[in-house]
Amino acid sequence: MMHLRVASVFLCAMLAIVVACERLPGAPKASIPVVVGSPSWTLATFNTNCRGCHSQGAEGAALPLVNPGYWKIANDDQITKVIALGQGVSMPGYLDENGGPFSADEIDALVKGMRSMWGGEPHDGNPVLPGTISPTLVVGDAVAGALVFESACANCHGANGPAGSVTDPMYLRLISDQGLWSAVVYGRSELGSPPWNSPMPNHPNGLTPTEVADVVSWLATKRTQ
Amino acid sequence: MILARILALAKIPIEWIELRTGAIAFSKPMLFHHVPRSAKWWYVFGSATLMFFTIQIVTGVCLGTMYAPSAAQAWESLRYIDEDVPFGWMLRALHGWSSTAMVVMMVIHMLQVFLHGSFKFPRELNWITGVFLLLTVLALAFTGQVMRWDQDAYWGLGIGAAIVDRVPIFGDQMRGLLLGGPIIGGETLNRFFALHVFILPGAAIALVGVHMTLIIKNGISEMPKPGAVVVPSTYRKEFEERMEKTGVPFFPDAVQRDMVFCGTCLIILIILAASFGPFGPGGMPDPTLIDTNPRPDYPFMWIFGAVSLLPPASETAIMLITPAIGVLILIAVPFLSNSGERAPSRRPGMVLVAVFVVMAIVALTYEGVTSPWSPVMDAWSSLATPAQFIKGRTPLQVQGAVVFQSVQCRNCHELGGFGGKRGPALDEISTRLSPDQLVRQIQQGGGNMPAFGKNLNSAQMSALVAFLGTLRPENEPDSKIPGANLPLPTSMSPPDRGVLTR
Repeated sequence: MMHLRVASVFLCAMLAIVVACERLPGAPKASIPVVVGSPSWTLATFNTNCRGCHSQGAEGAALPLVNPGYWKIANDDQITKVIALGQGVSMPGYLDENGGPFSADEIDALVKGMRSMWGGEPHDGNPVLPGTISPTLVVGDAVAGALVFESACANCHGANGPAGSVTDPMYLRLISDQGLWSAVVYGRSELGSPPWNSPMPNHPNGLTPTEVADVVSWLATKRTQ
Repeated sequence: MILARILALAKIPIEWIELRTGAIAFSKPMLFHHVPRSAKWWYVFGSATLMFFTIQIVTGVCLGTMYAPSAAQAWESLRYIDEDVPFGWMLRALHGWSSTAMVVMMVIHMLQVFLHGSFKFPRELNWITGVFLLLTVLALAFTGQVMRWDQDAYWGLGIGAAIVDRVPIFGDQMRGLLLGGPIIGGETLNRFFALHVFILPGAAIALVGVHMTLIIKNGISEMPKPGAVVVPSTYRKEFEERMEKTGVPFFPDAVQRDMVFCGTCLIILIILAASFGPFGPGGMPDPTLIDTNPRPDYPFMWIFGAVSLLPPASETAIMLITPAIGVLILIAVPFLSNSGERAPSRRPGMVLVAVFVVMAIVALTYEGVTSPWSPVMDAWSSLATPAQFIKGRTPLQVQGAVVFQSVQCRNCHELGGFGGKRGPALDEISTRLSPDQLVRQIQQGGGNMPAFGKNLNSAQMSALVAFLGTLRPENEPDSKIPGANLPLPTSMSPPDRGVLTR
């Protein structure tokens, strides 16, 4: 009797394995070809190549990309260009011709994929708001910019400001004009830096686009090479 | 009545065969030979090894019907077995896990024989055939890994070939013989296929035959008792007398325990195969893909660990001489001591040797699995700087964090528990190094760190050091190490002072 019971339990277990074979945890996943541009591809590509610097919230040292506010303003063509060619001191070009890992088509797909995940409708046409990534930034008036800085920024970001100086030549050498522009416009609210349109000292309604251009131009003059 | 008739009828062909072959007379002593009554659960490991070997042959033959031993098609045929053949993946999983299990079980069997002194007179040749079986099985495991023809196989072969290449004078020829040419190619796979499928299994079967014959001939050793010494001149006679008096027949007494243990092993094997699936195949074996992290299979992980930790100057000597010495020592074991006490309590030195060897293999295997010496090549672009290292930092310090990622410090240095382990974790670096020391270390390298001096401009360096200067536990006072975090010279420019005082 005992043997019969053991044998039947064993048989049932074997049968269960046979029936469940393709659903067992060890069954290899079918090799689905990776579709460039699919959401899973976009996310995996972002996580492997971008997330180190451009993450979300307070994480990551550079401008967060998981950020609808950014995608509302930024322009796809220009983002594509920055990814392909790189920018400033720290952002390398990711196009294969520049030694990067991606073809031009893959970069297009990545930008489209990120926009559909985080940004909604693509933004085309001319920049109407400050901060749109642009190869030829609007050149502001540096003299006016000095006044804007003194009234709006110096409280926190002056030479001995509590949030740390932004006129430090070492800092300015590391950040491009576009980087300054993005820093002013988007801020990093999680880190306590407000975006351009939030109230600031002497500017209860935030800065105007002209003031952003002016203050960036003034900061650029402080950069020494 | 009817049953008796049927049995009587069945006897006719059996007797007919027996008359012409003597098969029953031949196998009777194998089944019913007497084994010591004391041979209990310690004696099941050899049978389990044999069971795994049988599984290897059965699953291997099945895989042989579907595998394509050609460099162009091997990888694709594994995908076909895994995904298109019903139960194909299960077959591969069983073959892979059973291979590891066989090596493990064999080592346990060997340890038991070693600890119990069972290799002593008259069983010296049992041990020596066992050593050759171990070598054959390891060779089977290595050639089996090559059958996967993936990146692990490719680099495993590369390392094997490089080791062979170090042999003085004949290195070139030996490598050519191993690879079937100067490079790893289609010839190599065919060569290893022949080894894995014909030559080595044939050798293993022959060795198992000799091993089993010797077991029947010499009998199974009793459980060692302190004081019961082996005296070669009288041992055999006394042993046979004891077996006559107190022994029990192998079938069914001892075989029951073997079957229970083998059954348990089989169930565990099936659970492992069902839960973890087949080994590999990893990526395509393309030598131009340097973004790969190849690992050997488990039986060789400890060698991988040992070789990685060797000082470079000693490599040739240790890689070539140690294995030879190891094998010679294993073969010499029964000649070094083939009589006297068998009980482990009377051979404490031998117990220590066994413990040391096991611990060394386990520790090296752990090192091999974790391989902290390998940088994490995509850490810089995939692991975001954790929020706690960004919050409350100045713009320059945050730019320093960008530099930290973009010049790939993270590939070797952990931050917040993630990153490479090749260098020290930097979470608290500013409690150990002053800004000046940091600049020196980054610029000139040292202690296995490359010099980054030429790759960083002064702005990047200041930002990086500014960022690293913030890395210390919260509320941690200034460093207690002399020289670290010295008070600032007053002559420094304000921005730099900002850097250093945070």
